[in-house]
Amino acid sequence: MSAAETSSEQQLQADVERLRVRVDELELELVEVQARANAAVAEWQERAYWLDRWHLDLNALMRRRGAAELRGAVRAVRSVVWWLRRTKRRLSGS
Amino acid sequence: MRTVSAVIPVKNGERYLEELLGALAREGVDETLVIDSGSRDRSREIARSAGVELLQIAPEDFGHGRTRNLGAERTSGELICFLTQDATPCPGWLGAYREAFTLDQRVGAAYGPHLPRADTSPMIARELSEFFAAFAPDGAPVVQRSGDPSFLSNVNACYARACWEEIRFRQLAYSEDQAFGTDLLEAGWSKVYHPGAAVLHAHDYGTVEFMRRYFDEYRGLREATGHVEPFGVPATARHVRREVAADRRWMSEQGVDGAIRARWTARAVVHHAGRRAFSALGSRSERVPPQLRRRLSLEQRGESMNGSAASVPSPLPPQRHVPQKLPAEVYGVVASVWKDGPAPLLDPVPGMAERERLRLAMVIPRFNRGSGGHNTLFQIFMRLERRGHACSVWLADYQRYAPTDWPAVLRQDINEFFAPFKGPVYKGFDAWQGADVAIATGWQTVHPMLQLDHCRARAYVVNDHEPEFYASSTERVLAEDTYRHGLHCIAASLWLRDLLTERYDASAEAFQLGVEHDTYHPRPIARRGDTVVYYARHSTPRRAVPIGLMALAELKRRRPNVRIVLFGTDEVLHTSFPYEHLDVLSPTQLSWLYSEATVGLCLSLTNFSLMPKEMLACGLPCVELAGVSAESIFGSDGPLELAPLDPNRIADALERLLEDQNEWERRSQEGIEFVASHTWERATDEVEAGLRHALRERERIGAEVR
Repeated sequence: MSAAETSSEQQLQADVERLRVRVDELELELVEVQARANAAVAEWQERAYWLDRWHLDLNALMRRRGAAELRGAVRAVRSVVWWLRRTKRRLSGS
Repeated sequence: MRTVSAVIPVKNGERYLEELLGALAREGVDETLVIDSGSRDRSREIARSAGVELLQIAPEDFGHGRTRNLGAERTSGELICFLTQDATPCPGWLGAYREAFTLDQRVGAAYGPHLPRADTSPMIARELSEFFAAFAPDGAPVVQRSGDPSFLSNVNACYARACWEEIRFRQLAYSEDQAFGTDLLEAGWSKVYHPGAAVLHAHDYGTVEFMRRYFDEYRGLREATGHVEPFGVPATARHVRREVAADRRWMSEQGVDGAIRARWTARAVVHHAGRRAFSALGSRSERVPPQLRRRLSLEQRGESMNGSAASVPSPLPPQRHVPQKLPAEVYGVVASVWKDGPAPLLDPVPGMAERERLRLAMVIPRFNRGSGGHNTLFQIFMRLERRGHACSVWLADYQRYAPTDWPAVLRQDINEFFAPFKGPVYKGFDAWQGADVAIATGWQTVHPMLQLDHCRARAYVVNDHEPEFYASSTERVLAEDTYRHGLHCIAASLWLRDLLTERYDASAEAFQLGVEHDTYHPRPIARRGDTVVYYARHSTPRRAVPIGLMALAELKRRRPNVRIVLFGTDEVLHTSFPYEHLDVLSPTQLSWLYSEATVGLCLSLTNFSLMPKEMLACGLPCVELAGVSAESIFGSDGPLELAPLDPNRIADALERLLEDQNEWERRSQEGIEFVASHTWERATDEVEAGLRHALRERERIGAEVR
């Protein structure tokens, strides 16, 4: 085998090794990403437990006719209540 | 340019017939055929005067589908237009139809809107306008293909002769056009709604006639398509209120006000309420007595007209149409795997079997509290998760046993019933993300798992030989099939491993069930000398409970003072001997029960379960069945007392342990020592090795291919 061929073979081996290392890195990254995604979904499932237990799909609920209006009405009532509390506090000087 | 024939079935249609035939002549139709079925007015005379072809048939020979097929046969145009006797084409009608058939290569039919005549009631006028406007919101012609609405109306429709020859009208009392629309789309033809192909059309019925017509229409629709109109009083009230409000709005827009509007409002209430009621009644007409059915029908039709022999009384009982309830057949996923094969696996990556962390996705069947198989799975999977693997759980519930359980609830239940699992739980596979190893865990999970893509390998954790759970049945056949898909099996005993390799030629290795030693150990409670505890889970046939009860009855006969405790079931069993009943117990409660009892009895006709090991771990000698799977773990004279499937021999074994203190001591001590090394960590090691084996096999096959 000539020196040129040997050098070319070594170069090829080095490339293969470099690619192997890169694949290993990517594999590790993939598992890490999957683990993080799993953790995020699991955390969301913890939070959504009672919604799921009561079969409440809030998105579907809010798409129903009148839901947005009801929410608006609740917000309006809430703002009035808050205003009254603020005014009461102001008047009582607390 | 294609030739056009028009076919008009007529009976007492003099009111609009002359206007209709004049419009056809104006539009330039090549051939017009009037089929009269017994008119007593001037209809035939009008047809003759107009110079069109007239075909007379007997009234009893008329049928909406049959007569139109006859008309198509008697004409020759490449396009065949069907009109009713009260539908007058508007200017541009024929041009629009000609255009419709150029919009797609496979246009089989076209139809146009029905415009209200000037004297049409506001309810009908609004309904017609809104109904047809919905087909073409932007006013342009629309091509409808499979999946689009199948609506087609022979009040005003045009057919390509080739399409009619292929499909033909069904012989239905009503709605032959709707049936044709459905058949046409299913056969791969398209149809076109063209807003320009309009006719003036209205049914000028009185209120009662309208109701009777709706009865007929929905009866026909039921016969043609199986549609059953829903009905409920609150829903009808809401519907009527909504429709009447829309009618009033429409009248305002049309400039109808004051007393006229009020009068029509009252009519609208009756119209919409009656329509709902009679439509629902029509689609359930088979429940109405024939005499009343005939009276309700505008056409005074008593019997169904489906089929060619409608006038011959059928010996068959009334048929009940059952609408589609499921998106697919229950085991459709199996048929799909058999037809298309498993999803291809990803190419192997060198070294993947040895990586420290793997992406593992476990597919599980539906579960309940106390499920031993699921407990095993989660004891192991929880530990795989703790070792750093990215783990997720997927419930395959294609049998829809758990329609009301949502994912977060399933996850909580897993944590409460089995073991702490931190990963996500999915129901179904809509969010499937791929995995290094997809793991099937029960026969119901194998076929869905085989369809999952983006997997590097697949494995099958086999808890038991599940075909034996069923008598000769579909389930048994499908369970057997799961071992024949080349999955690497990780079996829950040596006996099970050998069975899989010998009977199914499967690739398999074994793991030993572990014991939760923190829970199952001798508790500080006095050991009784008279108590036999029996796992009497009657709902699980493989537990051979009738045999166990016979053995206990025999024992009680021999030793009347023996105390018998049955547990593991909510059901209080009726027996020929008195006993103490305990429900399904928690692991901690079980450990106290085992620590207090004298002898345990637990029978399994298939693979060995966790329970005898847990009894042994609490120092409780236990009787199991000989000749099944226990010998593969404990040997024939190990810590377990084995007895054949014979009540007397089982009673012998129980009696021996109750009587012989030395034998009891030996079994108890050997049992504790034997199961000490049976831990879930060890089981997890063995399962993990099996998963890595599945990956290694993929690498090996990949290398061979390369």
